[in-house]
Amino acid sequence: MLDFKHTDRTRREFEGLSLEHLDALYSAGLRLTKNERDAEDLVQDTFLRAFRFFDKFERGTNMKAWLFKILTNTFINKYRRRVKERTVVEGAAREAGNERFVTREPTESSADPEQYFFDKLLSDDVIRSIDQLPIDFRLVVILADLQEFSYKEIAEILDCPVGTVMSRLYRGRKLLQKNLLGYAVASGVVQGKQALEISVAVEEEEALEVLEFKRRA
Amino acid sequence: MTHECRKLEETFLHAYVDGEFGAEESAEVQAHLAECAECTHAVRLHQSYKAAMLRANVAAPHLVYEDVRDHLMDQPVHGRWARAFQRPSAIAIAAACAGAAIWFLAGGLSHPLLSRHSLIEDGVAIHARALPLDYSASDPRSAQKWLEGKLDFGVRLPRFAQGPRLQGVRLSSVHQRQAAVVTYSLPQADGRRVSLLIVDDPEPQLPGAARRIADREVWLSRAKGFNIASWRNDEIVYSLISDLDEKDVLALVQSAEMR
Repeated sequence: MLDFKHTDRTRREFEGLSLEHLDALYSAGLRLTKNERDAEDLVQDTFLRAFRFFDKFERGTNMKAWLFKILTNTFINKYRRRVKERTVVEGAAREAGNERFVTREPTESSADPEQYFFDKLLSDDVIRSIDQLPIDFRLVVILADLQEFSYKEIAEILDCPVGTVMSRLYRGRKLLQKNLLGYAVASGVVQGKQALEISVAVEEEEALEVLEFKRRA
Repeated sequence: MTHECRKLEETFLHAYVDGEFGAEESAEVQAHLAECAECTHAVRLHQSYKAAMLRANVAAPHLVYEDVRDHLMDQPVHGRWARAFQRPSAIAIAAACAGAAIWFLAGGLSHPLLSRHSLIEDGVAIHARALPLDYSASDPRSAQKWLEGKLDFGVRLPRFAQGPRLQGVRLSSVHQRQAAVVTYSLPQADGRRVSLLIVDDPEPQLPGAARRIADREVWLSRAKGFNIASWRNDEIVYSLISDLDEKDVLALVQSAEMR
């Protein structure tokens, strides 16, 4: 009796393929824009654009990568400038915010000798460290480490050679780990003499092994 | 493995942890790891780094999800039309449709501009939220019986020839007026939800554009991606709210028997 098939079908197909990636897009959008309002707008924009160009999406190919290509392009074209302006204004506030880390209670020492430096980190510190990265590094790190895209997929999303992805990823991770160490020292995850040793070593930047800091009782 | 070796291998080991290698290459790396404590260490460290990064992901607030869906509902289905117009026969069909539309506008509509109507907006908000039912029933008679004496006006639950399955009833209020919200699901449309808002609305003007269907004056409007069809029966306003196409909404209204 009723015909439910026509125009709604395209919309439902699109929703079926795209909405499952909403969390991933929002999470990445939040790290790109660094604030919830812009992240929401960016995600909203991404979905509308994707829907508009849905007939160009090759069925059976990687929907998540396709959506992320739209997300990063939208961000680069539209949001980057806006976010930059806001960052200048908010810079002072963020500096003030950091101070609470100094007074944070030291973390309980772990009995597990195999626990690595990164295992002990607080997500807040990881987020702050990501947010500090310059945009080119941040993009690659978000795509590789938060979203687990392959090097090849990232190269396609960002329209650049795989070699560029790899070098940016390596450099981005190093920078991020250096930021992380700073927070870990400030928050007491890494303490005392050892913290001093690590921070000195990190200045040389090569010494990644020092970042792998096993807590000895 | 010497320190010098480790430095050379670092990006290589990262690529291994990142899942960039095929089965054969991975097996080679694993064979090496089995006899090299230093590389094993580097691999474990990178794994713990990656795990920490994954923990920094956040889920989207539910409101974002709803906003995205709402906005999508408001979008015209673009690609479809673009494709359709590449075929000459489609243009002829489109011309015929345009003719039909002109006829429709000339004869069928008394109010082509959709008027805003808060009753409808409230109804849509109630529908969109899918609040729990006060009374679950699949038989309209038992729902009708349950409703008796609970509202300050008489309600008649419509009977649909086929299609909507009654889920239950919820008492609500719209603009400080008592209202009943009857929920149906449509098996032929993936169980999509249809709400029937019943309220005693003294406003003489119903929202939207009027059409005559099965001897009834039915008013059609849209809000927030939902189609609404309203009609009056014994002074009481019945509004069918759903995300179905207009044509399907009309078919539903046509099959509704108010006895």
